[in-house]
Amino acid sequence: MKCYLGIDIGSISTKGVIIDEENNIIASSYIWTEGNPVESVKKLVEILKQQLPEEYKIHGIGTTGSARKLIGIMLNANVVKNEITAHAVGTLAFHPDVKTILEIGGQDSKIIILRNGIIVDYAMNTLCAAGTGSFLSSQAKRLSIPIEDFGEIALTSKNPAKIAARCTVFAESDLIHKAQVGYSKQDIIAGLCKSIVLNYLNNVGKGKKIRGPIIFQGGVSKNKGVLKYFREILNEDVMVDENGHLMGAIGIAILSKKESSEKQYDLNIEDIKFITKANECNKCPNNCEILRIYKNDEHVDSWGSMCGKVK
Amino acid sequence: MTIGIPRSMFYYYFNKKWKYFFDYLNINTIISPKTNREILDNGIKLSTDEMCLSLKSYIGHVDYLKDKCDYILIPRIDNYGRKEQTCTNFLAIYDIINNIFDIKILDYNIDLENNETELEGLLKLSKILKKTKSEIKKAYSYACTMEGKEKKKTIIDNMNKLSSTKTKILLIGHSYNLYDSLIGVPIIKYLEKLNCEIIYSDLFDYKSTKDIVSKYSKNLYWKYSKQNISSLKYIDKVDGIIFLSTFPCGLDSLVNELVFRKINKPYLNLILDDLGGIAGIETRIESFVDIFEY
Repeated sequence: MKCYLGIDIGSISTKGVIIDEENNIIASSYIWTEGNPVESVKKLVEILKQQLPEEYKIHGIGTTGSARKLIGIMLNANVVKNEITAHAVGTLAFHPDVKTILEIGGQDSKIIILRNGIIVDYAMNTLCAAGTGSFLSSQAKRLSIPIEDFGEIALTSKNPAKIAARCTVFAESDLIHKAQVGYSKQDIIAGLCKSIVLNYLNNVGKGKKIRGPIIFQGGVSKNKGVLKYFREILNEDVMVDENGHLMGAIGIAILSKKESSEKQYDLNIEDIKFITKANECNKCPNNCEILRIYKNDEHVDSWGSMCGKVK
Repeated sequence: MTIGIPRSMFYYYFNKKWKYFFDYLNINTIISPKTNREILDNGIKLSTDEMCLSLKSYIGHVDYLKDKCDYILIPRIDNYGRKEQTCTNFLAIYDIINNIFDIKILDYNIDLENNETELEGLLKLSKILKKTKSEIKKAYSYACTMEGKEKKKTIIDNMNKLSSTKTKILLIGHSYNLYDSLIGVPIIKYLEKLNCEIIYSDLFDYKSTKDIVSKYSKNLYWKYSKQNISSLKYIDKVDGIIFLSTFPCGLDSLVNELVFRKINKPYLNLILDDLGGIAGIETRIESFVDIFEY
């Protein structure tokens, strides 16, 4: 039977799914990227292979997320697409009536506005990482609380501390100040979750018409505190799909299905030596940083050159 | 005598006129090369933090030219009439460059509110250029005619693109950003790779599109900003709009924000600062263009 692999390689986590012709999930996995997309994808593919029943054969591979290009070459993907489109396509497959997708990931946050199953608008955070997952996890570390418990602890607070919701640098000094004047940890954590929501709505959500049904996705959607404040502040129901963290991977798998051919892919990448070398090209004043990709010592691709002449 | 022309800021508004003008007078000019990393880096080193990326780049271009010519051509533009002012940088560049570099500057004023026309300004250069006033007058009128002809052609080309069958993207930005090889060109190339038709906000006949500006604001007085948003006269003919500006452009931060609130079309706002890589921009553009395909 035909099936399709979708991989979403984010800054923090790597997500993979295998779907069949009817978009049913046959295998799925979610692991940490740990700063090494190549190795984490190798690990991910091994896990997926073990879950995959014998009779299924892979007919398409899609990659998305910030390392999509690199992994796309590594796996010979037939589709390489940005995560916004992938998320929208994946979510629409399960929730055809969704009108707003809120997404907060490790390094970026975005909002996608859909009407009648068509993306009509979207926004993404600018270079600033304020109000994203990495901010939450660095604060969790500072308070020495596991990030997984953050949401539960936030729910116990009755009086969330007010925390500046603009910039993480100010938010952090605010946090320290609140702790020093004696706010309880619960209140500070709840305040932090609330500030994430306010920050999101003030930045990416600014001027967007947020209408229900609303779905909240990305790693931060697992945080119950943030979810609670989204519901409270938007005054609308906000859904979290149990597969929400996989939506990007599912979406890209669906897109690869659309473009698939009779070609079959094998997943024996464990032994493939896959290295990247970066160096500065000094042939012109641009000094482009060229990244060359080698598969088993063979040069397969490169990017980064502005003129396109340097391979 | 060689006159240096930095390929930045004013260049993108006057290059044709200047070319014909100096060619007619048989005066040598040297134009700095397309912006590259080295030029931009030198510009950033010599400038202050508050300057916009485009101005930093301009300073880099002047730095490139400083030992290669006798004069650097820098006009000082205040306004083109009432409510037709330019960005303060266009007024200040002369003084900024004068402060940073020890070079000779060939300057003239454009300040129509005080009856200082472009021709008037150029005539004052006659002593330095060693040309008679009548020669300059002739060269100027020749340059204007030739520039006008070429402009007409580009305007027609731009208008024709409005009836293209491809995905049509209106690219709104200042000329000096749109056509700079490090700022706008990578974006234009990428849009072309995605098979989009690009319509440029600065290539319309401003006289015929001008009226639309009051729909967005009645109080704007920046000529080039007004010219850019006047392209929204054809908003119904395009699929989406990309706003391109450089950080921290004061004009764009106000004008674009005004426009966002009043348009009912998908738009993408790209603000570029120091340019490390194009990956983040590609993600945004690709997903924006996907709106029209999925």
